[in-house]
Amino acid sequence: MTETLEIVNTKAELVLDGVSKSYGANLAVRSISAEVPAGKVSVIVGPSGCGKSTLLRIISGLDTPTEGSVTFEGSPVTGVPEGLAMVFQDYSRSLFPWMRVAKNVAFPLRHLKPAERAERVQEAIDAVGLAGKEHLYPWEMSGGMQQRVAIARALASHPKLLLMDEPYASVDAQTRADLEDLLLAIQARLGITVLVVTHDIDESVYLADHVIVLSAPPSVVAETIEVDLPRPRDHVTTKTDPRFVEIRGHVTRLLRGAGRPADDGTH
Amino acid sequence: MSITTTHERRPLVPGRRAASSERSRRLQRVATTTGLRLIVPALILAAWWAGSRAETAGLFVADPFETFTRVRTDFLAAGEGHAFLGDATWDHLFPGVWRALQGLGLAVVVGVGIGIALGRNRILMALFQPLIHLGRSLPSPALVGVFFFVFGTGDSPKVFLIAFSVVWPILFNTIDGVSSIGAARMQAAAVFKINRWDRLVHIVLPGAAPKIFAGMRTAMSLSLIIMIISELQKSQNGLGYLLIQSQRNFDYTGFWAVLVVLAILGVVMNIIFTIIERRVLAWHRGATQQHD
Repeated sequence: MTETLEIVNTKAELVLDGVSKSYGANLAVRSISAEVPAGKVSVIVGPSGCGKSTLLRIISGLDTPTEGSVTFEGSPVTGVPEGLAMVFQDYSRSLFPWMRVAKNVAFPLRHLKPAERAERVQEAIDAVGLAGKEHLYPWEMSGGMQQRVAIARALASHPKLLLMDEPYASVDAQTRADLEDLLLAIQARLGITVLVVTHDIDESVYLADHVIVLSAPPSVVAETIEVDLPRPRDHVTTKTDPRFVEIRGHVTRLLRGAGRPADDGTH
Repeated sequence: MSITTTHERRPLVPGRRAASSERSRRLQRVATTTGLRLIVPALILAAWWAGSRAETAGLFVADPFETFTRVRTDFLAAGEGHAFLGDATWDHLFPGVWRALQGLGLAVVVGVGIGIALGRNRILMALFQPLIHLGRSLPSPALVGVFFFVFGTGDSPKVFLIAFSVVWPILFNTIDGVSSIGAARMQAAAVFKINRWDRLVHIVLPGAAPKIFAGMRTAMSLSLIIMIISELQKSQNGLGYLLIQSQRNFDYTGFWAVLVVLAILGVVMNIIFTIIERRVLAWHRGATQQHD
């Protein structure tokens, strides 16, 4: 099935309108306008230090833009919006080592009744394939499994928008491929809106319905590329698809043109 | 090929044999270290005994065996309703230790409370930093008189003196621990909308706990020292009082018996503390061993 991506300009779930952020005289991002459509996977890709994390902090309401605005489901983002969950890059720092897996996942759900909370935790843990590991501590697990816990924690809150900040930057290539497929499977099942930030070109094209390419700082949107590769995708078929190679080449050229030696996208 | 070999498990039987020889080697190592550890105490005991026999030192050094007998009769003699503990334990050891524990408890509450407030708030920290450094650098035994003057007689001046003296390591370690939690965890808490109370109880406190416990361990040893100092004057009971009394009565065996009890007290409190710490910080031991 080929995705038709003509809807980008309608019914956008998350809209960035001319977002700029400067720290003193230092301009991190400059007038970023982008739209993240509902129920799709969007990926922001850019060279290191291009302000991707700044942008995610602004989107998640943890930071405010110097100029411009962020709108989520039609209302401006001032604090952390309802229905937003996040997976951080460094699982070892974002998970709580004094809590077992189940408690880590349950912790953001403290406002729910115990029965409902337990149900949500189980559902999320099952979804990431960690059933039976509930009683382990995060540090008893491999990096890939820890990042699964972080994903489960985000899913347990039943988010409408899932933000992921370089989620697989700290795991090995094989684990990374598995986690990419896990994300796509979960997204297809739940239909949630996903926004991933990465510096890995391969990953951006493989995951995305559309890729937002950022330039070097002060960053602007170099181009938004629709990825019309069929789903479900897999690492062999999709990545050898001439269309994949073509889009990857295009993104690579854009990032090279951004004036920095960019990741060539190979593992 | 190379991929499959890296995942290969070692064959089961040699593995088991390796484990059993590993166990016997470990047993041997434990026996050796235990033996080595006993040498120095045995030498000290021998030197003590020799000292008690000597012409001049013998006047002040009690015979170790008589001392242990005194420890038994004074502190462990089974009277009725005494639960196998002697009069000195009930009249001197327990009241003193109780004051030390009260002081320590007060210091933990105050030190952790203020430490969290200061560690989380840069303005408060800047405001109170000079005062804290001043308080820490005051040698607290010099303040015994001040505490007796302000809090009168009875237990309270002693308890407050102990609390004041031991609060500093707890305070400084808590500040350190709170600032070591890291931006990523606090950011995760913010994104998941964890309320202030849950953040404090479930993130800040456990995150700072390893450092807080380190401070508490120092504070505990210090509390015993200050306990003795606070009992040396204007006191009706306590081990410090007992030390002074036995000295005044030229009862050197009694004096040495108190020293032995003090040593045992220190060891016992350390063991109890270690047991509590291992339970509370089980995750921390695991997590740090994992990253070694």
